[in-house]
Amino acid sequence: MRTLVTTLAAVLFAGAASAAPQLNQPAPAFKLAGSDGKQHSLADYKGKYVVLEWTNHECPFVKKHYAGNMQMLQKDLTRKGAVWLSIVSSAPGKQGAVDAAKATELTLARGAAPTVVLLDPNGEAGRAYEAKTTPHMYIVAPDGKLIYMGGIDSIPSSDAADIPKATQYVQVALTEAMAGKPVTNASTRPYGCSVKY
Amino acid sequence: MKSRLLLLAALTILAPPAAAAPVAAPHIEAELIGENTAWLPGSTQWVALRLAPEPGWHTYWRNPGDSGLATSLEWTLPEGFAAGEILWPYPSRESLGELTNYGYDRETLHLVPIEVPAKLEVSATLHAKAKWLVCKDICIPGEAPLELTLPVAAIVTTDSAAATRFTEARARLPRAEALAGTFAVAGQELRLEIGDDALAEAQAAEFFPFDNNLVNHGALQRVSLEPGRVRFAQAQSAYFAAMPPFVEGVLVVRGAETKAYTVRALPGEVTTVAAPPMVIPPAAPVSPREAPGLLLVLGFALLGGLILNLMPCVFPVLAIKAVSVLESRRGDPAAERAHALAYTGGVVASCVAAAAMLLAVRSGGEALGWGFQLQSPVFVAFLAYLLLALGLSLSGVVQFGTQLMGVGQGLTEKNGYLGSFFTGVLAVVVASPCTAPFMGVALGTALTAPPLVALLVFATLGLGLALPFLMLGFFPALGKRLPRPGAWMETFKQAMAFPLYFTVAWLLWVLGRQSGIDAVGLALCGLVLASLALWLWGGAARGRSRAALAALATLASLGLLAHPVIRAPAATAKVAEIGQEPWSAARVAELRAQGRVVFVNFTADWCITCKANEKVALGSDKVRAAFAARKVAWLVADWTSADPAITEALAHYGRNGVPLYLLYPPGGGDAVVLPQLLTPDIVLDQLASLPQGD
Repeated sequence: MRTLVTTLAAVLFAGAASAAPQLNQPAPAFKLAGSDGKQHSLADYKGKYVVLEWTNHECPFVKKHYAGNMQMLQKDLTRKGAVWLSIVSSAPGKQGAVDAAKATELTLARGAAPTVVLLDPNGEAGRAYEAKTTPHMYIVAPDGKLIYMGGIDSIPSSDAADIPKATQYVQVALTEAMAGKPVTNASTRPYGCSVKY
Repeated sequence: MKSRLLLLAALTILAPPAAAAPVAAPHIEAELIGENTAWLPGSTQWVALRLAPEPGWHTYWRNPGDSGLATSLEWTLPEGFAAGEILWPYPSRESLGELTNYGYDRETLHLVPIEVPAKLEVSATLHAKAKWLVCKDICIPGEAPLELTLPVAAIVTTDSAAATRFTEARARLPRAEALAGTFAVAGQELRLEIGDDALAEAQAAEFFPFDNNLVNHGALQRVSLEPGRVRFAQAQSAYFAAMPPFVEGVLVVRGAETKAYTVRALPGEVTTVAAPPMVIPPAAPVSPREAPGLLLVLGFALLGGLILNLMPCVFPVLAIKAVSVLESRRGDPAAERAHALAYTGGVVASCVAAAAMLLAVRSGGEALGWGFQLQSPVFVAFLAYLLLALGLSLSGVVQFGTQLMGVGQGLTEKNGYLGSFFTGVLAVVVASPCTAPFMGVALGTALTAPPLVALLVFATLGLGLALPFLMLGFFPALGKRLPRPGAWMETFKQAMAFPLYFTVAWLLWVLGRQSGIDAVGLALCGLVLASLALWLWGGAARGRSRAALAALATLASLGLLAHPVIRAPAATAKVAEIGQEPWSAARVAELRAQGRVVFVNFTADWCITCKANEKVALGSDKVRAAFAARKVAWLVADWTSADPAITEALAHYGRNGVPLYLLYPPGGGDAVVLPQLLTPDIVLDQLASLPQGD
């Protein structure tokens, strides 16, 4: 028997034993108010590919991609039949928190083309997906299973000049899935600002 | 050539100290500084990117954690110069809400080795574009073109202002030669073990992995530290892809001074780290030399054991003993003393045995707590058998003294010393559900102490439990205060069977909650078979095959315990009461983030104290109304069946068993630990004393 075993906690925050989102498992369900004033749930879009984008319009990493890249992706992928849900999980009063009117205004001002912007002020959907950063991206297949989670692209930086050099993970994953192929990089490192729960 | 170098040296002395002015960016200052005042041709010299964030702001380590971005440098160097990689000082954990980052919340030097060419002109300028992310609750990416111009000299001196900074920075660098370690990925967690003399004097240790996708950064890093060896366990990342060939990172060891080491671990076997933080460590493990502390603990243990005699699950067993004491009162005093000692021996031995088992299993890395035996449905069913058998014995169906406990003793009926010993063992076994109120803290403390001390505490506890009968044995005068024996004794004995039958009913209910109605059905059949066996044994039936039939029924009844249905978890999830929800650490954090007051009830169906508190205090209308008025979120951590997460949380509060009641104030701060015996007023007072949240 050991003479002395001292145990210490490095961090007080205990590990979340709750079910983390898992690839090839049903994606966590949610029901959120949209910028269009209607309620949207993930189940509404069963049968379609759904792209989930966690966003915060004041975050520099989001700004990097809204210099044109994100809008282009939204237009390209929705045209191919995917549903694009931009989700704002900032708590009221924190950076990036918006109401429906502000969300619509931002979409227009930026020339963005999500299917709808969803408001998650309590962070319920964000926590269910363990969304950590903005942007943080997920793709749900028509059968409701999660097929991609992680970063928007392969170069973690806040510099828009890096975008052309990076692998566009989301676009590649969705293109592969739509062609009936397995997703090569299904789980990648998300990067960006922390989600302001 | 020589004269030229001398000229350069002279120039250096005349030249003003060359350092570019710091660049001020939002919330941070950036600067390139050199360790020396001049370039020495053909050498390796050190420069550093100095980043000084404003208080409350931080920059990031090479692995930034959940979010963030590592600082980077892009060099533009004169011909012949070459820059190495940044040497990263060890980081600290920056927890932001639910996310954890690794970075620097103070001025930090990022050291870079520069190779200086052999041939150089009068001076040389290095250019670097520094990029960083500086964050508080929001993040601002920054970049600045930095430069450092130094003259060339044959003799270099250290810039005195820079010297201190470089020395401090080097003290925070991990030692370059890597410590060897072993890692395993199992049970959804990363485990790491490092054995090295560097850990001989360690008081705390922390591990920071280089790879971002290994661990869930926000999850608790469980640490088991002993001289020369440390083990870590942390939940694996949701982005963990495949088993890596090796794991590298930085080990920070805190002792008399803080040191950091590079670690390189290869795959192997590593056991997990059990229930972690005894957050009471300032009270220090009790050591035999600290006599007053130890005496106090032992005093409480004795008192706790004494009080156990009054517990509803122990009392009927004591009734059996009481009856036997009454019956043997006319015996000789020496025999009475011997019986009392045998009983005490049984109690103390089984307490020590239970403790030894608990310690042994825990040192093997399993997370267990007191009462763990009741988390096993098979044990619960077996206990039901045992208590039914005792009840039937009291009811007069069978006489145990000769039949079981006295077997092979050749001693007179009911007076076998072995019988007394086993009565003591039995008292401890049935006492286990009732250990909570006075023993929770004592047991938690005892198990953090060195094993010998822990065993001593348990032995004292047993002594306390046995004390009344020990006294009776040694001071027969006390016995004179007991009523005279007579015909009433048989009536009393039979009446005492009924608390036991009630206990059996309760155990079956616990079993039902654990394993479902099928298990209860099976156990009921087992109980009937056991009764049949006892009836046959008791001599009610005649015939030669009696013993064989009795043995058969006993076997069948015990055989049922082995049926998988008994062990199966209940098919249907428990229906929580309205307004209550299951506990998880994450849920607590979430609710607290919403500014709610959070109440956590750590309970188990087999814990009678818990059930009593829930009925009397927590279930009262006053408490429910007060909870509703303050919108208290009510979480239930149900420990009826084994749950490592709950065991861990209990250990966090220095507890080893249920109940435990926590009340978290709104807006952060530590939880208030409520007493283990609750009244409505205690709960209401505690709630009223919380600050009003927003």
